[in-house]
Amino acid sequence: MKFLRIVVENVLRNPLRTLLTTLGTMVLVFVVTMVWSVLSFLDEQTAEKNANLKAIVTERWQLPSQMPYSYAASLREGAAREADDIRPTDSMTWSFFGGSLDPESRTRESSLFAFALQPEKLMTMMDELDALPLSQAAELEIAVEKMAGNRQGIILGRDRLAAINKQIGDRFTLYGFNYEDINLELEVVGVFPPGRYDNSAAINVEYLNAAMDAYPQTHAGQKHPLADKSLNLVWLRVPNTQAYSQVAEQISNSPSYASPAVKVETASSGVATFLEAYRDLVWGMRWLLAPAILITLSLVISNAISISVRERQKEFAVLKVLGFKPFQILSLVIGESLLIGATAGLLSAGATWGLINHVMGGFTFPIAFFGIFYIPDASLWWGLAVGGGAALLGSCVPAWTACRVRVSEVFARVA
Amino acid sequence: MINSHTFNPSAQLLAQTAASTLGISNSVLVPLGVLFGLAALLLFFGRIPISYNLLNLTVRWRTTLLTALAFTLVISLLTVMLAFVNGMYQLTENSGHPENVVVLAEGSTDESFSNLGFSDIGDIENQAGILRPDGRPLLSRETYLVVNQPIPNAPPGGPQRRFLQLRGIVDPNIAAQVHQIVLYEGGGWFSESGVQEVDSASATTAVEVVVGEGIARELGSSRTEAELAAAANSNRLDVGDVFSLSNRPWKVVGVMQSSGSTFDSEVWAKQSLIGPMFGKETYTALVARTADAESAATLKNFLNNDYKKAAVSALSEPEYYAGLSSTNRQFLFGIIFVAIVMAIGGVFGVMNTMFAAIGQRTKDIGVLRLIGYRRRQILISFLLESLAIAFIGGLLGCAVGMLADGWTATSILSAGQGGGGKFIVLKLAVDANTIAVGLLLALVMGLAGGLLPSLSAMRLSALDALR
Repeated sequence: MKFLRIVVENVLRNPLRTLLTTLGTMVLVFVVTMVWSVLSFLDEQTAEKNANLKAIVTERWQLPSQMPYSYAASLREGAAREADDIRPTDSMTWSFFGGSLDPESRTRESSLFAFALQPEKLMTMMDELDALPLSQAAELEIAVEKMAGNRQGIILGRDRLAAINKQIGDRFTLYGFNYEDINLELEVVGVFPPGRYDNSAAINVEYLNAAMDAYPQTHAGQKHPLADKSLNLVWLRVPNTQAYSQVAEQISNSPSYASPAVKVETASSGVATFLEAYRDLVWGMRWLLAPAILITLSLVISNAISISVRERQKEFAVLKVLGFKPFQILSLVIGESLLIGATAGLLSAGATWGLINHVMGGFTFPIAFFGIFYIPDASLWWGLAVGGGAALLGSCVPAWTACRVRVSEVFARVA
Repeated sequence: MINSHTFNPSAQLLAQTAASTLGISNSVLVPLGVLFGLAALLLFFGRIPISYNLLNLTVRWRTTLLTALAFTLVISLLTVMLAFVNGMYQLTENSGHPENVVVLAEGSTDESFSNLGFSDIGDIENQAGILRPDGRPLLSRETYLVVNQPIPNAPPGGPQRRFLQLRGIVDPNIAAQVHQIVLYEGGGWFSESGVQEVDSASATTAVEVVVGEGIARELGSSRTEAELAAAANSNRLDVGDVFSLSNRPWKVVGVMQSSGSTFDSEVWAKQSLIGPMFGKETYTALVARTADAESAATLKNFLNNDYKKAAVSALSEPEYYAGLSSTNRQFLFGIIFVAIVMAIGGVFGVMNTMFAAIGQRTKDIGVLRLIGYRRRQILISFLLESLAIAFIGGLLGCAVGMLADGWTATSILSAGQGGGGKFIVLKLAVDANTIAVGLLLALVMGLAGGLLPSLSAMRLSALDALR
């Protein structure tokens, strides 16, 4: 305790220097925290899970994946035909509908891209929506029930709702541009909870399918060009890797999916493929940006500690005369540095977590289809580790210099 | 009568001439010029010899080195990040020829989502303005596809698939003229049939393809050691090499010379083959070549406003690629944010250094005041010292950052929300503008970090300093 008291007193002896070093550390830890938040999220998304996996079924070759909707029923069962075939524990189909509220123009304010899906699957199959806090889950459930009861219902993210200048209860027409000549009359029945789906929209796939079925009646019996291409994705939930392998084999071996052929992969594998385009950017963030910031942080702290050590040569000489051992002086200097670095790092990470997650509602970074990123709870120990680690690294040399102070040389200069 | 406007055009002209000569944008050149001018003024009006400051920097060389190193790191990072965005913008610009008009389906801004029926657009080639050097219109009919390719020999734990950008071309010679594509010697365009027999015993035919240099490198990297050892070119796929896609062999018959455009990342093949193979029975774009930018604008306006035979949307090629620059802008904002935050951290560092330097030299300051130097000259002296550290560190940082020039990196060009986009291989480009931004940031950091300490030095009275 006495040692800690001495360390604290030394740190507070030059409040300006301590403040500047703390502020510099906090600012740099802020950047590192944001960079590592992006990297850790991407790593999580691409890490293969062993349990409660999600598999994606898509068209085998082409992007965007376009399959006939007739595939949906059997794919949702994992192409199970025999009694001992494995069926997924849950499933969901996605069809992407893009449209504009203005038939004449397409702007950010008038455009809307919606997932056409089974409403009840929003609560069980969509990432993060399947694990909401009770109050948010209850609200979303009400909206889902409305969408299930009203095929023309649409649920929007709050940012998209604001961008198109609508509110719950409003009705509008969405003029399709990927589904040309398919115009959907929609009613806003709910809003997604704040977070990842702020710019998303979801409609009832039954409504889209009905519109596709009705198309020939108004177009001289011609099927819509996307009539056999309206199924974009099928999500399957399986309990473990063994079940996934079996379901994948069932689907791959099934003769029902010949034209177009389909492929099955885990969600993490699918995401990894999309992230390949960003691999150099991610590599740069991981191995250039973050290390450079850490080194800069070490330099800032090292500079401050070096200046402090140089100014306190006499003090260290006196301490040696009083009987302090070199390792005690070394520990004193390192302790001061650690106190500043670790405290600043922890404060910075905490402030970043609060600011980004609760004040700003996340931060945007254009990687793949991930619109928004959050700071994970683990960032609190990141800040502590980064600040403390940089402080330790930066203070090694100055601390060694301090403990090697020669009493006779110092007092000779004084004399 | 003297017209006040006569002065402004001259200054503007000077700035524009300097900007275009140096290759630095006005928005960077002007503040950089101001800062250099400020430094020059400080040097001119500062009476304390600059050698005093430089000597102090060398005497306290450890502190100077640590501070300058921090600057070096911040500026070198900024240079590399800006070089990345520069590379993306250059690729976007190089991909678009002002003489070309891109015709898409109405409402489309990205050919990924465009569908032009074969019959819909048959008449477009007859329109005025399209060049006809040998009687045939320079109108390239194209089908753009993105397909999924399992990566051969993919290491476990890594991605098992990649996205390949295919472009189905009706007439490769027309396409080459429209897009100004040149092939490396030894290669050629695909044949009329677009296929070539590779195994007479099994009658296996390979799809003939011409690949961009960037994707040739990417595909070449998936070869085994044995394949690399036997390859004619170990750096990339070359003429005669074969890769697998959609359970068929695809044979390289030509490699496009790098044009710094999105075509470097594409695989071209016969449209009549790959369209049906991947279920795309329409064109995605027509690209017409005109005489010049003005003719392109005329054709574009005609197709958008007066052409009634099909619902199309026409853009000049530069406009089309500019529309795909949304990711460029987003990356740029991200880089600016990171650079500013890191710079703030660096400012605190240099402030620490300067406060410490002033703290150790209070007696120097007292003596300088006693021998007649004014307060403002003390201020100028310490500001110059701070700017000197910043300039040295910034210059080193720019030098280190320049090593990244020419590095290749993958990325994506996209219009933003709504998917689509093009996977690209770009070259990082460190140009004069990038260096200027680096130096500008370094000097701003030096000025911001040195101002407060210099002001505190200025306020010291001679007697207090010597006490």
